Amino acid sequence: MAESFDPASYQGRLPSPCISHCVMVPETGLCQGCLRNIDEIVGWASASEACKRTIWLATIERRRNHPGAA
Amino acid sequence: MKLPADMQVLERGWLSSNNILFSGSAGTALVDSGYLTHAAHTVALVGHALAGRRLDLLVNTHLHSDHCGGNAALQAKYACRTLIPAAQAEAVRDWDQDALSFVATGQQCARFGFDATLAPGDSLRLGEQNWQVLGAPGHDPHALLLYCAATRILISADALWENGFGVIFPELEGASGFAEAQATLDLIARLDIGLVIPGHGAPFADVHGALQRAGARLQYLRAEPLRNARNAVKVLLKFLLLERQQVPLAQVPALLGEIALVRQINRRFLQLADAALADWAVAQLQRVGAARIDGEWLRNHG
Repeated sequence: MAESFDPASYQGRLPSPCISHCVMVPETGLCQGCLRNIDEIVGWASASEACKRTIWLATIERRRNHPGAA
Repeated sequence: MKLPADMQVLERGWLSSNNILFSGSAGTALVDSGYLTHAAHTVALVGHALAGRRLDLLVNTHLHSDHCGGNAALQAKYACRTLIPAAQAEAVRDWDQDALSFVATGQQCARFGFDATLAPGDSLRLGEQNWQVLGAPGHDPHALLLYCAATRILISADALWENGFGVIFPELEGASGFAEAQATLDLIARLDIGLVIPGHGAPFADVHGALQRAGARLQYLRAEPLRNARNAVKVLLKFLLLERQQVPLAQVPALLGEIALVRQINRRFLQLADAALADWAVAQLQRVGAARIDGEWLRNHG
């Protein structure tokens, strides 16, 4: 997603964090592209908007802590 | 509308199609398997969602590389029974990559086999329900829809998205596709649908709105086929960028030139020099935020 995208304030249905760079990294248990764990990816389509927002914010936090990630 | 308990949608991005997993008392099944470079990821997601069960059945809505690229890996892992559109049985049996579109689009797919075929008019058991197989030509002449009347769910693949539909490929090669795509939209409009699971993007309930948007877009493309051709070049460059994430800007003309379908589109519709075609396509992706130039690199974006 574009850098300007802010899931905290986004109105409407939240898009998937997937950026089509899909590789699970064994050391972190996170996808290299979107920084979601496998439960968050598998459960995404049926998650509530509140849950999607929580996941989005978690991925942003993880990106801050994994500056080397895609 | 919530999904029935026997269905899970693994929502993917644009390089890999969505994967739809069924777990029923009679077995498990997966519809579509994503792109080749994501095959390990697809196997991991499907394995996780199966929660210890094995995959019994694999079904493809159509045989574009982003819908069947995980077939070989899933077959290797589960030896699952595999159903493909009947019209392409011979091409898959002989692994005729020209007939299967992989050569033309410059996209990759690992060879897979099949056990039986599906054709419009068939029905099959997925999870706890019976699903009807309907023909959905337009985006792909052999594409299928899966429709469950009991749950009012349509698996639309690339025939209908929340905003639009896939490139009308037959028109790029001088065959008819717009009329077929319209007939497919008309067919969908006659179904009683509570939820659409598209090939890409989130499941959606507003089928009426989606059909209106798709109908308007189809009319727009049909009025000037050059628009479908231009869109196809943009989509093929975006696919290449999604696959590689970044490419040297200077190599874009050669990379586009290696794609037989792009050459064909250029000859038939655009008639641009390689460099001019590349400049145009890059500018188009930049304009909509789908790519960005970073020094000497063209990077995927968005």
